[in-house]
Amino acid sequence: MAHPKTCFVTIGATASFTSLIQAALSAPFLSALQNHGYTDLLLQYGEDGKGFFDGCMQQAQATVSSSGLKVSGFALDKAGLGKYMRQAKGLGAKGAQEGVVISHAGSGTILDALRTAVPLIVVPNAELLDNHQVELAEALAAQEYVVHASLADLPRALQDAEQLRLRQKEWPPVNSGVHRQAKGLKGVLDEEMGFLD
Amino acid sequence: MGFFTTLLVILPLLIIPAAFYRFLLISDPKRNKPIRHGRRNPAEPTHLLVVLGSGGHTAEMLAMLERAVSAKDASLKLDWKDYTHRTWVVGSGDSISAQRAKDFEDMVIPLSTPEDLMVGKVKRATYNGIGTYDVVTVPRAREIHQSLTTTPMSSFTCMRACYDLLTRYTTETRDGHASGPGQKDFPDVILCNGPATATILVATSMLLRFFDVKGCSTRGKLRTIYVESWARVKKPSLSGKLLSRVVDRFLVQWPQLERSTGGRAEFMGVLV
Repeated sequence: MAHPKTCFVTIGATASFTSLIQAALSAPFLSALQNHGYTDLLLQYGEDGKGFFDGCMQQAQATVSSSGLKVSGFALDKAGLGKYMRQAKGLGAKGAQEGVVISHAGSGTILDALRTAVPLIVVPNAELLDNHQVELAEALAAQEYVVHASLADLPRALQDAEQLRLRQKEWPPVNSGVHRQAKGLKGVLDEEMGFLD
Repeated sequence: MGFFTTLLVILPLLIIPAAFYRFLLISDPKRNKPIRHGRRNPAEPTHLLVVLGSGGHTAEMLAMLERAVSAKDASLKLDWKDYTHRTWVVGSGDSISAQRAKDFEDMVIPLSTPEDLMVGKVKRATYNGIGTYDVVTVPRAREIHQSLTTTPMSSFTCMRACYDLLTRYTTETRDGHASGPGQKDFPDVILCNGPATATILVATSMLLRFFDVKGCSTRGKLRTIYVESWARVKKPSLSGKLLSRVVDRFLVQWPQLERSTGGRAEFMGVLV
């Protein structure tokens, strides 16, 4: 218990992705957390999610207490998720080690985690009609920025996250051949403003 | 044929091509830009308008701006003082975006590069104040689960609010020239990403340019930059599809999206 290791699960502030909360409190996942040395499980269940979270907690009570994990949840935080991302990164407490973030595929949350450089498992919500979130998760997983997982294989994803940790890439990406025009936002703004210097 | 019948036939024949030609003129990215004499010239105030959506759109817009203002490479570093006035547009009820705009403004000024005013031993006239900003609220064009039948009405309400905010500051200056010292004018550039409000705002800006309200078109104001969400990998969003051929710049963040969007899409690497 000397080295706290946090797994932070977020379903976003407004989205109702209760199945991710359910999966994160399931017995196989909790034991996988235990196997990988996690000490804390922190969940953001979003607006109106408290009832559901409490229900899941009641069901999982026996498993939670036997796993020795500290499980806690919150609805939303207006100050943003930065604080929780840093806790998962291992910057919260003294002697803490780096954990993992598990997130719905919202681009804002993904970006937050990438900029914090904490290993990230992205679980797109399959119930959403618009599947562009899946495309983002796939594209980022192909470039090895994140682990792309479905609800069923979260324990496996936790294993993959340990691999990802070893070769965590920095964000924003270093400009390379792919980014052929590196003038950036400033360059475009200057051109449109008519700044000639 | 009576006189009125003739008129009914002839008028549309004249007006429709004329309107179409006008539309092409105002949506041509090669149209005039304002004539400027150097960056931060105190005699030539500038105005940048940034549209924040909600949730992901706001997060991406601020991530992009934060990255640009804190860039280490001088050629990529956006200096916030280049814009003497900034307008932030947020949807009504979105207090989080409004707060984040204020936080950004508080954070950004110390990042600005101190300037050597004595370059070439002649003191350059350079505006070095922190400028001003507004956070303006507009009614949302469409709530997240709003039905399509009521969308036209709410879009119209949103459009009126956009008209008011775009014409909030205007000046009468010579054609092609920036406004005078200390004045505030139309936004020079509208920077937006995906929210529906942005689509309405761009459409409103085109309407203003179409009728050259207060000379906004002849004076090269209201240029538009659209940045497609980083979350769009293969296909553009609805806003993106609607705007890809009418905004001045259309930036995408995935190379495959440049091809699939067509129009004015340009891939410039990841911006967030």
